[in-house]
Amino acid sequence: MLRLIIRRFLWFIPVFFVVTGITFLTMHALPGGPFDTDKTPPAMVQRMEQAFGLNRPVYEQYFIWLKNAAQLDFGPSLKQRGRPVAGFLLPGLAVSAQLGLFAMGFALLIGLPAGIIAALHRGRWQDRGATFVAILGVSVPPIVMGPLLMWLFALQLGWLPVAQWAGLDEGIIPYLSHIILPAVTLGAGLSAIIARLTRASLLQVLGEDYIRTAHAKGLARRTVTIRHALRNALIPVVTYLGPLAAAVLTGSLVVEQIFAIPGMGRYFVSSITSRDYPMVMAVVVIYAFIIVFVNLVVDVLYLFIDPRMDHGL
Amino acid sequence: MRNPFWYVLALTLVLVLAAGCTAAAPEAGADVGAEQATDTTADTAATGEPITVRVSTVSEPSTLDPNLAEDSFSITPIEQLFLGLTNLNNETGAVEPELAESWTISEDGLTWTFNLRQDAVWSDGNPVTANDFVYSAKRAVMPETASPYAYVLYSVKNAAAINQTAIPTDTYDIESLGVRAVDDYTVEFTLEAPASYFESISSLWTLRPVPSWTIEEHGAAWTEPENIVVTGPYMITEWRPAELLVFEKNPSYYNAGQVQIDRVELHVITDQNTELALYESGDLDVIGDSATSLPIQVLTLVRENPTLSAELHEGPRASTTYVGFTMTKPPFDNALVRKAFSAAIDRETIVRDVVGSGIPATQFAPKGVFGAPDPEVGIATDIEQAQAWLAEAGYPGGEGFPTVTYRYFSNTLEEALAQALQAMWAENLNVTVELESMEFPAFLASTAGTVPVEEMPEMWRLGWSADYPDENNWVYEVFHCTDSQNRSRAECTEADELAKAAGSEQDSQKRIEMYAQVEQMMFGDEVRAAPYYHRGFTTLTKPFIQRAYSTFAPVNWDTWTVVEQ
Repeated sequence: MLRLIIRRFLWFIPVFFVVTGITFLTMHALPGGPFDTDKTPPAMVQRMEQAFGLNRPVYEQYFIWLKNAAQLDFGPSLKQRGRPVAGFLLPGLAVSAQLGLFAMGFALLIGLPAGIIAALHRGRWQDRGATFVAILGVSVPPIVMGPLLMWLFALQLGWLPVAQWAGLDEGIIPYLSHIILPAVTLGAGLSAIIARLTRASLLQVLGEDYIRTAHAKGLARRTVTIRHALRNALIPVVTYLGPLAAAVLTGSLVVEQIFAIPGMGRYFVSSITSRDYPMVMAVVVIYAFIIVFVNLVVDVLYLFIDPRMDHGL
Repeated sequence: MRNPFWYVLALTLVLVLAAGCTAAAPEAGADVGAEQATDTTADTAATGEPITVRVSTVSEPSTLDPNLAEDSFSITPIEQLFLGLTNLNNETGAVEPELAESWTISEDGLTWTFNLRQDAVWSDGNPVTANDFVYSAKRAVMPETASPYAYVLYSVKNAAAINQTAIPTDTYDIESLGVRAVDDYTVEFTLEAPASYFESISSLWTLRPVPSWTIEEHGAAWTEPENIVVTGPYMITEWRPAELLVFEKNPSYYNAGQVQIDRVELHVITDQNTELALYESGDLDVIGDSATSLPIQVLTLVRENPTLSAELHEGPRASTTYVGFTMTKPPFDNALVRKAFSAAIDRETIVRDVVGSGIPATQFAPKGVFGAPDPEVGIATDIEQAQAWLAEAGYPGGEGFPTVTYRYFSNTLEEALAQALQAMWAENLNVTVELESMEFPAFLASTAGTVPVEEMPEMWRLGWSADYPDENNWVYEVFHCTDSQNRSRAECTEADELAKAAGSEQDSQKRIEMYAQVEQMMFGDEVRAAPYYHRGFTTLTKPFIQRAYSTFAPVNWDTWTVVEQ
C-alpha cells in the first residue's frame, strides 16, 4: 500500500507539468489582458503589464512561475492588487471543503440506503418511490433548488438563516444552521446519482452465482446482502465518487453564489474572466492535487472493499 | 468486517476537515474581537452596544489603496477610510472643503494652492501634513506604482510624461512633478494648462494622502487591517475575503464626535436575489449602494411589495450606456445611417421593460454633471425621422441595407439589451442586425482603437461612468479624436477642438455653453455614438437609517444616523 501511495504522489509530478503548462499557454493565448478596462488608456495598460512582467515571452513567464511555485509562492493576484492569491484560495478552500464534506455526507446518507432499498425491493413501490426521488434530484439543478429551499425554510418558515457563512468560531449552532441549506442543495443531485448507481450495481451483483450459493448455504439474507453483495456493489460507486468528491470539495460557483458562501468555487470562473493569471494557475494546481489525492483515497478504499485488488494495483 | 472501510472513510474525512480548519485559522484569528454584533440594530443603541449597520456590495473591493483604486466597489470603502483635499457633497455633488479648508487659484489658472486644516491626524497619531499629499501624488504618478488611474492626474504638470516613462530603459525626475509642500499645511499644484475641473479632481481618491511610513514598512500589505493607517471617519478592522469587511469608527478622526454609527459591516453578496432575501430577513440593512442596479426581476418584486417599495430609493447615477459606431466602416461611415440607428432606439421601452431603472438618454453626460447640457441635446427617439434618414442615406424602407453586426459582452442584462436593440432596428428600420456576444476582456480587445477596421463590428456596446462629475471626463476623455482611445475612429473636427478648449476655459458659464455645443456636435450631428440610457441607483434602506443618497459621488457613511423607531 505504501508503494501505491508513493507511486501516486510521484505521478503528480508529470501531471503537474502537463496541467500547468497547458493552462499557462491557453490562458495567455486568450485575447484581452488583466488590466484592460474600457477606461484605462492603452499606454498605461502596457505600463502595468510591464510592472507585472507580462511583456516577457510566455515561456519565460512560465519558468519564472515554476521557480516561484517550487517555493510555494503563487504570487500576487492581478485583480486584487498586490494581495497574495493564497490569501484568497486557502480560506476559500477551507470553507468549500467543509461545505463539500457535509454535502457528500448528506448524499451518502440519502443515496446509499435509497439505492439499497430500491434494489432489494426491485419493481415494488419502494423502488418506484426511490427512483422517482432520484430522477427529481438529478433533474432539479442547484440554481432552482437553492432559491426554493431558501424561500421555504428561511423566508417562509424562518427555521434556517437565508444565506451566508458562519465559521465554527461563531458556535456550533450557527455553523450548522448556515451549512444545512447549501449542503442539501449541493448534495441533492449527488445523492440521486449515488442512489441510482448503487441500485444498478447491487442488482447486478445480486444476480451473480455466488450470491445464490451463499443463500443456498443457508446464510441469513442480511449477511448475504451486506457482506457479500453490497461490498462488491460499492466498487463502481466508489470509483465514481472519487472525481466527484474533488469537484464538491473545491466548491460550486452556483451554490456559493446563491448562499453567499465565501468558498473557492467562485475563483474557478472569476479568475479566468478577469485574466488573473496567478489566480488561475493556483486554482488549477490545487484542483489537480486534490484530484490526484482523491484518486489515491479511492485506490486505498478498493483495497478495503476487495483485498484481491492488491495484486492489480 | 465492515469496520475498516468506514474507519478509513471517517479518517479521510476528518483529515480533510482538519486540513481545512488549519488553513482557515490565520484568517479567522485576524480580529474576531469582542464585538460579534450580528444582530445589533437601532434598538440596541440604548443598551450601550455598538450601533451597527450592515451594508452589501455585489463585488469584493479589489484594493483599499487610494492610489490604485479604479472601481466603485473599491472606492466606496476607500471613501470611508481616507480623506481628500475636498469632498463631493453626497446629494448635490458640489465640491466642499475636507482636508483643505480653503484654496486659491492663480490669475493664469495654473497654480492651485490648498490650505490644510491643522487638526487632522492619522489613526496612529501622526499629523496629516502637506508632505503626505506630495508623497501620494508622486506615488500615484510614478510608473513603478502601475496605477490604472494615474491618467486622471495628467492635468498636473509633467504627470503624463513621468507616468509614461518606459522604465527601466528611460528615467524620469519625480521632482519635476507639479506638486510641492509650501509649508506643513500648504500644498501647491502646478498644472499643464488651466483646468477648471481640477476642483473636482482634488476630491478624487487618487490624490488622497497615504501614509508613506506604513507603505515603506509593509509594501503591498500596507492595506491589510493589521497594518493600515487612515485619516477618515472609519478604519477597517477585519477583511475576510469574499465574505465581509468590518469598519469601525476612527476615534482620531477630527470630526469623530459627529459620527454616530460605530460599526459598519460590508458584506460581499454576489447574487442580487440573495441580496434581497437577506434584506427581507433583516440580515442586511442597506442594499444596492454598490453602484450595480438591482435587476429588473428583483425590482419588480420590490415594487409590488408595499413595505419594500416604501424603502426603495431610485436616483440618477453618472453613468451612461451607448451604442458605439465604427465610423470608418460602411455603411456606418454615413452620418445619416448613424442618425437613423440612434433615432430608432425606443429609449423609454428599454428603460421601463428591459433595465427596469435609470432614465432615457440622448446625450452622453447626464444632467447634473458639470457642463452637461440642460435641456438635453442629441438625437431623440423618433421612428418616422429615423426612417426618413435611412431613406435619405439611400436605403428607403431598409432596402439594400447590408446585414451588420452588433457586438456586446455577455451577461444577463446585456443579452436582453442587445436583443431589444436588434428587435427595434428590425421593426423600425427593417434592417438585419446580427448579435455577437463575447466574454468581457475578449470583447474589449476586439473593439480597441487598434483593431483593423475589417475585424471591427459595425456597432458595439459600451458605457461610461464618471471618475469626476465634469464634462471634461466625458466628451474629452472618452471621445476626443487623439487624446482618447477613440474607439469610434472619429476624424478630428471642430467638436474636438472645442472639447479641449472647454477644459481650460475659466469662465464657467462659457464652459457650460461650449460643452452644450460639443455634445450636440458629437451625438446629434456627427453621431459618434448613440447614448440611450443613463444608469440609476436602486437602493433599499431600512427605515431606521437616515441617510443621504449618493448621486455623483461615493456615499459617506459618517453622515448617516440610526434613529429610534
